[in-house]
Amino acid sequence: MSTRKSLPIYREPEPEPAGEGDEASRRDFLKLTAAAAVLLAGAPACDTSSPEFQEVLQRHYWELTPDDKKRIFARLEAKTKALTGVSVKISDPQPLEGVHFAYALNLTHCNGNRRCVEACARENNLPNDPQMRYIRVIELDNGSQHLEKGTAYYDPERVPQPGKFYLPVQCHQCDNPPCVRACPTKATWKEPDGIVVVDYNWCIGCRYCQAACPYHARRFNWVSPSIEPDRVNPNQGYLSNRIRPVGVVEKCTFCLHRTRNGRYPACYEACPTGARKFGNLSDPESEVRRIVENKRVWILKEELGTEPRFFYFYG
Amino acid sequence: MRFWTTFVVAVALVVGCHPREQKHETVSGVKGPDAKHAKIEPRSPMLPAYPCSGCHAGRQPKTQRYELKEFHEVRNHEFSHGEDAFWCYQCHSSKDIDKLVTSTGELVTFDEAYRICTSCHGDKIDDWRDGAHGLVVGNWNGERTKKSCPSCHDPHDPRYPSIKPEPKPAPPKGLKAL
Repeated sequence: MSTRKSLPIYREPEPEPAGEGDEASRRDFLKLTAAAAVLLAGAPACDTSSPEFQEVLQRHYWELTPDDKKRIFARLEAKTKALTGVSVKISDPQPLEGVHFAYALNLTHCNGNRRCVEACARENNLPNDPQMRYIRVIELDNGSQHLEKGTAYYDPERVPQPGKFYLPVQCHQCDNPPCVRACPTKATWKEPDGIVVVDYNWCIGCRYCQAACPYHARRFNWVSPSIEPDRVNPNQGYLSNRIRPVGVVEKCTFCLHRTRNGRYPACYEACPTGARKFGNLSDPESEVRRIVENKRVWILKEELGTEPRFFYFYG
Repeated sequence: MRFWTTFVVAVALVVGCHPREQKHETVSGVKGPDAKHAKIEPRSPMLPAYPCSGCHAGRQPKTQRYELKEFHEVRNHEFSHGEDAFWCYQCHSSKDIDKLVTSTGELVTFDEAYRICTSCHGDKIDDWRDGAHGLVVGNWNGERTKKSCPSCHDPHDPRYPSIKPEPKPAPPKGLKAL
């Protein structure tokens, strides 16, 4: 137990024989509660190796050993199979050395067709009832940036409409993320490649991060997951698109289960106009790097100091 | 005084005769497949009637505008490029019908169609080469293919068409439709 890396705010109890009480961690409290529940419910009916019991005792992602992960992924795969009837593969791709992901979006080319929104929903197992979507495409008047006067509910027969431009907004993977600082349990953090992720099994659903995000990028699971079997994407990442439980917050992860394996995000591949650009900002030859260096890029709500990894440009 | 004059002239000569290396002298990918550079998608396999000489061999090219028939009939109505000034042989070569011709009279293959487009629209070549303009498919850190201009812009009617959008999002539960 002492070999595990400990979280800064939830310290493991010191291995001293005396002096308990004050040092009791959440983990011990949960263990005690679980033990009490076992006693109350009648010991013969309870099994400490049951998935529910294991889920309650699961540690934070940072503290998981490879063996823990293997066990947890198998448990989640079985759970998904029971829920949807689909056999899925949950993986845990790690950040790549020297890679810092960034997105660039050409607003001259975006015509508001929402193909990205739908492709994202398919890729990330987003539910339809109630509908959840990571990307919002906001229709704005040409020459204005009054976000409050724009609408995401435009519905013309054909796009683009004259006199309008379209601003897709999703998680900006900020370098100074207000959502991460708002989280009281460290269930969300910024990975070395720049992606802000959520450990859905550690999130307590307080929604502070949702309130802190100035880009309206986080979504809350108000109800238990419901997803049609034919919409389940079997290629799932533990920190990205696996089926989320009720009562947790989720968000765009630049499709890290794809991008950390060298592929483009689903929204990028769906864009028919070529408005979306994605790549490694640390690679001087990459497209996003050349765009950031050579085009006049701007970021949304720059005055808030969030330092997004999501750049808009014209041209 | 003479020494300094000689020195300055010598430095100027050295600098002048050794131009700094041009980093992006050619369009990326032209040199061949490379993990860092995108390959350019060849166009000729996508053309249903290529090679054009299959029909045009032995025909006299008509350089004046006239009513098209049969295979090209649709272009009578769908041609919208350069107002009335343009006709077939602005871009297609009248000497070799399987080739295209740039604004400076250079013959290029259909696979290099981007050279035709950028011989007039030169402001787009930098953006396209750097990846700011155009579609790139494949893997961000591996093999990737850059689409040529005519993949998105029909050269005979180049404006990107307006398309039907996906349905609008559902409003949050409990709120009326916006």
